[in-house]
Amino acid sequence: MCISCQKKGCTDPVAINYSNEAEKNDNSCQYQDFDKFDLLTNLTNNYILPSIESYKNKVTLLNTSTDLFILSPNIINLNNLRSSWEETHLNWQDIAFLDFGPSEYILLRSQTNTYPIDTTEVNNSILNAEWNFHNATYNDSKGLQALDYLLHKPGYSDLQLINYYISNANAKEYLKAITDDLMVNINYVNNEWINHKSNFINDFEINNSGFSSNSQGSSISNIINALCLHYEFYVRRGKIGLPLGVFNGFSQQELPHLVECYYSGKSLQNTTRCINSIRNFINGSGYINNDNGLGLDDYMNFVNAEYNNMQLSKVIDNQIVTILEELNNYNNPLSEAIMNNKDALLNSYEELQKLVPFIKVDMTSGLGVLITYQDNDGD
Amino acid sequence: MMEINKWFNHLTKNFVSIYPLVVFRIFFGIILFTSTLRFILKGWVYDLYLKPTYFFTYKGFDWISPVGENFIYGAFALLLVFSLLITLGLFYRISAVMFFLVFTYIELIDKTNYLNHYYFISLMSFIMIFLPANKFLSIDNLLGITKEKRFIEAWKINIIKLQVGVVYFFAGIAKLNYHWLIEAQPLSNWLKHQSDFPLFGNLFLNDYAAYIFSWSGALFDLLIFFILINRRYRIYGYLLVVLFHILTSIMFPIGVFPLVMIFTTLIFFSDEFHEKLLSFINKNKFLKKYQNEIINSKKEKNLLIKLLLTVFFILQLILPLRFLLYPGKLFWTEQGYRFSWRVMLIEKAGYAQFFIHEPRMNRKMLIENQNYLTPQQEKMMATQPDMILQFAHFLSSEFKDSTINESNGEIIYLGENPKITAKVKVSLFNKGSKDFINSNVNLSNIKRGLKHKEWILKYED
Repeated sequence: MCISCQKKGCTDPVAINYSNEAEKNDNSCQYQDFDKFDLLTNLTNNYILPSIESYKNKVTLLNTSTDLFILSPNIINLNNLRSSWEETHLNWQDIAFLDFGPSEYILLRSQTNTYPIDTTEVNNSILNAEWNFHNATYNDSKGLQALDYLLHKPGYSDLQLINYYISNANAKEYLKAITDDLMVNINYVNNEWINHKSNFINDFEINNSGFSSNSQGSSISNIINALCLHYEFYVRRGKIGLPLGVFNGFSQQELPHLVECYYSGKSLQNTTRCINSIRNFINGSGYINNDNGLGLDDYMNFVNAEYNNMQLSKVIDNQIVTILEELNNYNNPLSEAIMNNKDALLNSYEELQKLVPFIKVDMTSGLGVLITYQDNDGD
Repeated sequence: MMEINKWFNHLTKNFVSIYPLVVFRIFFGIILFTSTLRFILKGWVYDLYLKPTYFFTYKGFDWISPVGENFIYGAFALLLVFSLLITLGLFYRISAVMFFLVFTYIELIDKTNYLNHYYFISLMSFIMIFLPANKFLSIDNLLGITKEKRFIEAWKINIIKLQVGVVYFFAGIAKLNYHWLIEAQPLSNWLKHQSDFPLFGNLFLNDYAAYIFSWSGALFDLLIFFILINRRYRIYGYLLVVLFHILTSIMFPIGVFPLVMIFTTLIFFSDEFHEKLLSFINKNKFLKKYQNEIINSKKEKNLLIKLLLTVFFILQLILPLRFLLYPGKLFWTEQGYRFSWRVMLIEKAGYAQFFIHEPRMNRKMLIENQNYLTPQQEKMMATQPDMILQFAHFLSSEFKDSTINESNGEIIYLGENPKITAKVKVSLFNKGSKDFINSNVNLSNIKRGLKHKEWILKYED
């Protein structure tokens, strides 16, 4: 018997026979059997459904808080409404990137969180008591961002704001219309998910032969396309790049009023929450208990997706952690950090940028998903 | 020498039954019709030809465009009409000419949509122009537009076989590379996502599966032509054709191509076989034998057509090999990649960012590709250097002589030839995204063309 042999074993913590005494890998690592059905089951049951339900409950609370505030506009009810809004907004970030199926169908993201808000349109609508939230042109005067404006109107002290609502029946109605609209939308999405979840798990766009190959329209393809689009366009660009001026011509002059939650100044917490949720989703963490189940990371490991000889799942996770650490260096409001600390933020933006090819090129090709939002033949 | 001569005459000048050609006309016509209809019904006319505002044209064909809604839908309507006329054998020649022209025009609109099977249809419909496929069992016969003929020169059948042979054989040659044979790529990656395939799914997870598929796929492509021309083994060859194409059509989104090949390869079967098929349409035509018609048939002297078709095939032998003239790795640079029957050969994905530079200053502006390109165009461009260059030139011309009013009040004049650079990341066979081109090169100053693109970075394995 040689003693040194005992130090051999499986050194990969992800493997099911990982040994913390092992010092040298003897290629004995065994991994959990991967199954696409189990992956979709876990993502649906343990992340998608509970996160949507949780957001729905937050919106319901928000709606009640709005009722209370309208009934008696006072400082307690105002603060209650604001914190209810803040909670709802954070919860929104957990589901914002699930933009497929019913959410995509009703354009939930545009209806819920379009910014910057058209404040002129908001004020005119209130003045004339005339609005139509079924019309998409009102997307930039309703939703969570309109509440950001209406609950934190610039130039108003809390007292003035309360008086504004006391004396303005239209404004109260407008508030209520916004939260009702949020409720209608999320109730629809929630019901659709409950009723059709098995279709999603069983892959509702399966082709005639009864199986799917992650082709356009398959559940995996929907998930990944939505994730990549949301991160690239709505997080990297919308939450940081755009207000930072990265997309603003040659001068790259900063546009701080374009941040999310400009009026309350609660931008950063929403950005980090969203990135964190994307991380949890990729890693297959349960929404309620954070249990590590089958996620896209396991899928990437299963197909041995690599980047520079490192596991791609690890590279992606490391990059997300780097981004979160970077963002940790700044304080709300983001619009001020953009003005005072632009150079540092530009460096942080570079870290956000680095994640794009990792997920859009490496992850998608590793998982055999075509990045395209349209159906087509290949050869 | 005499033997070769005899053999050549046998394959070209001898008179043979027209039946295989007639069956081919009918099936090919039906497939052209249904695949055009499918294309329209899926909404692809809008997605591919009306939604985009910019098109990646082919050099020399930059004048080609979808023109407008009425024009492009009209073109597709014409395809439906002409494919139907081809099937029926009505006004056959003019229909074949028109189908070829309209179809090829549409294919030349945008490189984004290049598919080998569209190329195949272009070639095949070109050949059909010169074949007398309407000389039997056609409305042209009924109307007296052309005289009925039961025997034609052998080359008019064999040319179709040759075209099919070229496709398979070069597809086979293309598979004889390190990645396909030794790494079993890209199949080993693709098969991992097919674990829910009916019956065999679990086998696909086995490492050997990708090798079995890769090697048998290569052997199939290389040998199938030779099996099909052999009378004895033909039926087994055809069963392989059916199996191969059904399997690939289930595994990959390749549209109607498998059907095209399954029906086209019927051409290899005997005259008797085709006679049986045709007798389903009109039994009365086959009641007596017409052997003596051969003697009465005159040999045609269509030297010009023969010369044209010879050049046509010589070109087809050269095109797939033109990549040898370029340095660097073919799958990385894709110089000489199209029109070469490289089917399902690489797994490649990319991401490109373009910048316009301010004259004489160190500042640059990031372009948002989605303002100009559809996601499909953006995706195809990101891995293909000639398209990257084209888009850079497009940007240069878009911003040429323009002034940009900055949000801080600055006014920037871009001059007559704005500098464009691009940062591109590409992953080949999932080996990690790497820098694809030299991001310092001013793409505005680089000419389009067949010259080697030195600005593509070397592939590092």
